[in-house]
Amino acid sequence: MFCVKNARLHPRTIWHFTSYGVLPIRCYRRPGVPPDNTPPWKKIDFNFSKGVQGIKKHFGLLKKEMFERFEGPQGRPMREIMLEQTRVVWEFRNQESLEQWVVSSDEEMGGKSKIYLRLSRNNQTALLYGNMCTEVPKDGETRYSGYCTLRSKQLLGAFNVKTHHDWSNFNTLYLRIRGDGRPWMMNIATETYFQHQKNDMYNYFLYTRGGPYWQDVKIPFSKFFLTSRGRIQDDQHPLWLDKINTLGFTLGDKADGPFHLEIDCIGVCNDRAHTEEFAYEKYKKNP
Amino acid sequence: MSPYILFVMLTSLGLGTTLTFTSSHWLLAWMGLEINTLAIIPLMTNKHHPRAVEAATKYFLTQAAAAAILLFASIYNAWYSGQWFIQDMSSPVSTLMTLAIAIKLGIAPMHFWLPEVMQGISINTGLILVTWQKLAPLALLMQISHNIKPELLIILGLMSTIIGGWGGLNQTQIRKIMAYSSIAHLGWIISILHFMPALAMVNLFIYLIMTITMFMTFNLLNSPTINTLAVNWSKSPILAATSALALLSLGGLPPLSGFMPKWLIIQELTNQELAPTATLLALSALLSLFFYLRLSYSLSLTIMPNTHPQTLNWNMKITTPLPLSLMMMMTLTMLPITPTIISLF
Repeated sequence: MFCVKNARLHPRTIWHFTSYGVLPIRCYRRPGVPPDNTPPWKKIDFNFSKGVQGIKKHFGLLKKEMFERFEGPQGRPMREIMLEQTRVVWEFRNQESLEQWVVSSDEEMGGKSKIYLRLSRNNQTALLYGNMCTEVPKDGETRYSGYCTLRSKQLLGAFNVKTHHDWSNFNTLYLRIRGDGRPWMMNIATETYFQHQKNDMYNYFLYTRGGPYWQDVKIPFSKFFLTSRGRIQDDQHPLWLDKINTLGFTLGDKADGPFHLEIDCIGVCNDRAHTEEFAYEKYKKNP
Repeated sequence: MSPYILFVMLTSLGLGTTLTFTSSHWLLAWMGLEINTLAIIPLMTNKHHPRAVEAATKYFLTQAAAAAILLFASIYNAWYSGQWFIQDMSSPVSTLMTLAIAIKLGIAPMHFWLPEVMQGISINTGLILVTWQKLAPLALLMQISHNIKPELLIILGLMSTIIGGWGGLNQTQIRKIMAYSSIAHLGWIISILHFMPALAMVNLFIYLIMTITMFMTFNLLNSPTINTLAVNWSKSPILAATSALALLSLGGLPPLSGFMPKWLIIQELTNQELAPTATLLALSALLSLFFYLRLSYSLSLTIMPNTHPQTLNWNMKITTPLPLSLMMMMTLTMLPITPTIISLF
């Protein structure tokens, strides 16, 4: 039973009721950093013109969502959906395209890796670069360190409603990248329902070859395996493509030093020669 | 699933519905509904996929909430009128009962669970969900229909047909489309329930036949999305041809069977001086027809122009099961025997 009296808890801790007792849910707070005690109403930016802009934007999106269904599913005509074999989902041609991505590294937990994302020459590609450092932060809690990630932001609709990528017409992820030989990991996060699934992610490896030539990588979605918080799960199941939330790249190969990954575009395609449904757990369970 | 467990679950499903059909006591009817809910949950979670578990959880929560409301309403009715007889409903809770049964059936505006649940489960379980699981609540609704305010049923019916048509327009997943189709058809059923319950039963009968046909077709073709339907013309040309007609029957086009209930309902509503309601129902049926046409377009009216390295299946023996053939025949050709069908109910 968790002892509440001896713990120093934040005044606005969220309490999680379990069969073991009442446990607090805390957002991650980096060791050594003082807790953030600003009241929530101070964090809001009360700006009238921003509010008006927000209203216009969201009502515009709502109107678009209401009327685009007359055009076809998800606003695209039926013919386009039926004939579609490839779709470029992310293309890095201007600064706004970089706004759809979030970079992160172990700096948030006290590490020393650095990662940056910028547009490359002629605004044609995105360059993800930085320096990986596996030095463990000296806080007494952390045992391992050294990761850098790039993750796409969650798609939002009118009034910031979560929407998802629907890639059910496709079966392969296509990337045009130019790396430096380091192995990356692709992460796809889908929409989940239960709180214990919130860290569920489908992963696969992305081996870059270095060199001046561009690399076309095609990863079938049937190859993605399920992990949760970095641990491969025993109960594997195929990735369902109708509610994809985010796509991410992670570098965690325990090698100190600089890294570069240039991404031209990320798309999905339908490889009709690929008939595999799922690469793992092919045996029948509980026969 | 082990055949013994499957047998137990299916017989429990049968037991639950039969219990509700044959009972005249509210508690026994409620028990039948609960047995149905509990028996289908293992069928939904047969495949251990998180989406299946999510669907089962959502189904259980909505059905349990509806059952709780129904139990509360029936207990209030017993306290108010002193008896538990289903057909003697003389209390103010008839509206609450209707809403509880509407949640169970997935009638708008209590329909939000149905597309998500249908998407998460296998197509065979989805078939049970939209056909068998509708029977027991509809039986209860029919028994209390003369005590419910007709305006409530008309409003629920109109909302269901409009929302069922509108919601299905944005879908590419077959199971979600069939869920919205179910919502729309149930709207037609309950709109006529107060005036002529026999006609509601005719509509239910035709709806069950058409839905079973389409679900069995989609199960055989093994296509979860509209796009994957498009390559099925080579697997089974006969099914591609007849399914197009079956979809038009679902849309309510003459001379197919699906026209029968729509025609009779519009006629009855007009006789009851509800011509604007009938007009709105007919217009909202156009929305549903649009997405049925979309399905038939990709299934039968087009041949995919994409070249692919796989050779086309030209000699694949796809054995159409006998039940599907029977159902397909009934879906397409029952309109001329309308008087016979009406006399059955």
